[in-house]
Amino acid sequence: MGNVGAEKEKLEIAPHVIIIGAGSTGSATAHDLTLRGLRVTVIERGEVAFGTTGRNHCLLHSGGRYCVTDRESAIECIDENMILRKIMPDLLELNDGLFVALTEADLAFKERFLEGCAACHIPATDISVDHALAIEPFLNPKILAAVRVPDGVFEPFRFCLAFLATARENGAVVRTYTEVTDLLCSAKNVTGVKIQDHRTGKKETLDADLIVNAAGPWAGEIAAKAKVTVPEIPTAGVMVALDCRLNNMVLNRLNKPSDGDIVVPQRATSVIGTTSWVVEDPDLITIPAEHVDRMISQGEQLIPAVRKVPMRAKMAVARPLIAKSGTDARDVSRTFECFDHERDGMNGFVTIAGGKTTTARAMAEKVTDIVCRKLDVRAECRTRDTLLASYRLFFQQSDPRNGSSVSSG
Amino acid sequence: MATLDSRRVSRAGRWLDVRRRRLGMWAYALNRITGIGLVVYLYLHLGILSLLTRGQSAWDSFVSLARSPFYLALDVILLAGILIHGLNGMRIALTGCGIGVGAQKAIFIVLMIVGAIALGVAALKIFHI
Amino acid sequence: MNMLKVPLQIFRHKPGQPSRYDTFTVEIPDSAHVIDAIDAAWAVHDPSLTFRRACHHSSCGSCAIRINGVEKLPCITKLSDVWDGRTPLRLDPLRNFPVVSDLVVDISGFFQRMSAAEMAITCEAEAFLPFTVDRFAVAELEPKAVELPADFSRFNRFEQCIECGICMSACPTMAADERFLGPAGLAAIYQARHKTDDSRKVAHLLGLADGEHGVWRCHSAFECTEACPQAVDPAGKIMALRRELIARRFSKLWGK
Repeated sequence: MGNVGAEKEKLEIAPHVIIIGAGSTGSATAHDLTLRGLRVTVIERGEVAFGTTGRNHCLLHSGGRYCVTDRESAIECIDENMILRKIMPDLLELNDGLFVALTEADLAFKERFLEGCAACHIPATDISVDHALAIEPFLNPKILAAVRVPDGVFEPFRFCLAFLATARENGAVVRTYTEVTDLLCSAKNVTGVKIQDHRTGKKETLDADLIVNAAGPWAGEIAAKAKVTVPEIPTAGVMVALDCRLNNMVLNRLNKPSDGDIVVPQRATSVIGTTSWVVEDPDLITIPAEHVDRMISQGEQLIPAVRKVPMRAKMAVARPLIAKSGTDARDVSRTFECFDHERDGMNGFVTIAGGKTTTARAMAEKVTDIVCRKLDVRAECRTRDTLLASYRLFFQQSDPRNGSSVSSG
Repeated sequence: MATLDSRRVSRAGRWLDVRRRRLGMWAYALNRITGIGLVVYLYLHLGILSLLTRGQSAWDSFVSLARSPFYLALDVILLAGILIHGLNGMRIALTGCGIGVGAQKAIFIVLMIVGAIALGVAALKIFHI
Repeated sequence: MNMLKVPLQIFRHKPGQPSRYDTFTVEIPDSAHVIDAIDAAWAVHDPSLTFRRACHHSSCGSCAIRINGVEKLPCITKLSDVWDGRTPLRLDPLRNFPVVSDLVVDISGFFQRMSAAEMAITCEAEAFLPFTVDRFAVAELEPKAVELPADFSRFNRFEQCIECGICMSACPTMAADERFLGPAGLAAIYQARHKTDDSRKVAHLLGLADGEHGVWRCHSAFECTEACPQAVDPAGKIMALRRELIARRFSKLWGK
């Protein structure tokens, strides 16, 4: 191993960045910042992926879903899809996906879809209905067309663990079950955080040169502690996981995005999603029964056998969608935004909001570029090519604040 | 490797609590209890056999005690222990080599029924009924 | 959708303080899963309650606890399946792991074992659908063969094992032998062994299985297989490893 002493010294004088939130954004940002030589502490109030990222639909987007309505998003997706295949090859199901036409309207959409894929460099193949039914025997036999794209499936928990384990290997500190209770502010700067470690109850103060707010739908709550606002609308969605896996490939409806138009397989389940409704409190979401019923009936259109299989689980979580003009939750952009609160009068505080797990690495690159510029750190981003460490290492790396050992009898 | 959990003494006795555990765990607990019982019996037995060294009268007085209904009942319990431990032991030997693992519950039930029948017949004979 | 008032009795422990049980009454829909109840207790009553969860659909394996003394994944356990309508629902952390705080246990030793087994978390998918860990779920469906697209040599999927630690909690040997690889570790060794052709790797894995804290420490309680929410059947895999080890010993004896 290289010059450990010199590395440690460098780290000690490097700028200290605190990241709030260990979801996909926080985890990927921790990885990027540490690779560029900064000292990083991640603060997460629960387990890794406790919030939005954990209850994700697990779809590694090919971008096909957005190639007609939101080309910017589609291109981000396909680029990141290819990068993730390189940096976490053993953490993905790579069975591609199908966009299938169920109605004449869907069929008419196909041409625009293929055009969109071509414009966004998404490899898309129009395949025969017979072939589609042979490779996906539980697909609705009444489909009119099928297009194959490089969709994949990930697992959000291990996704985050892989980034965090790599960051920890490179010197980052990750503190879970630790909640930010307040931000330390001077007149024009956020200078640190007040935290409480819920495992011990102990309260502490941590200083930082910059704080990255990656708290997802709770980013607004955190930002309020510095008296700045983040224009996000916590928008919840329900997903239903079945008691068996009915498809190997991701199955999408060949049309503009709508509710319940994707069935994502994973392990031994098929997950139907999703819906959209604005929520007041992202900590306490009651799953509306009609949404669950709607998922089943929508899923049934793609896979008729859905009705014959019991439900294994249902989940709902708020997505941190950024408010732009337009009131329909689905119109709210799914691309991400960095808010440098210096322009709100509070320096040393950056919020990264919106986005999806597929593009987490790109979001992290963008926010890390901004952080490095603000802290005058000159380093290139290396996350496109750096193979991530094993996710299992996360639970083996030493945690400076582990609790005592007690038997529970 | 790191150790899991630290209080050894309380952990060692945990297998005794078989509430809400499934058949395999019950068989495990039964095997341990009968095993301990048989070891205790073995020492008792050796102790009793040592009476032989004290001559015919000592042995004869023990034998008349051993014919009492109380002792015969103890003999039946002993036989139950031997049957449970032996038959279940056969099941463990088989599954432990990878044979019949999928049917381990069925095998346990069948063997215990066989044991129960054998015990019943033996009890009748022991009590001369 | 009916809302129910459910009493929960949750194990609490913070370092340096005696353990206790806290009772919280939460208001949740009757169709809820136990994880929703824990979430409600935390969100409404006590944010210092620490517990693990992420995916809510038996994929991450993080939420494993004991519900009324039995190891389960609260995210797929319906309230109606475990609550009798009156008695407080008792929630405890897993056994055989050091308790960090409340329902959170220290799983570093567990992941050391899983790392040692070197099982990749993805594997080849079956040549038919549906695929399930609950055979009753597919009772009404006929299995159908899956044809592969021309450019695919196989479909892949995530391994059934979600590394939840339930089997380790249920295993009586885990309680007795501090260094036992455990049902999860040994099942992972079995999987890893059958996914490789590299004779050195096979020898290494079988060596771990044959070692002092390997397959021979299992005493056939079979509780791991019963408790596993993902039908991994660790007991079956341990016995299959034993079968292979015995067969190899015989071959050596016979000088093959």
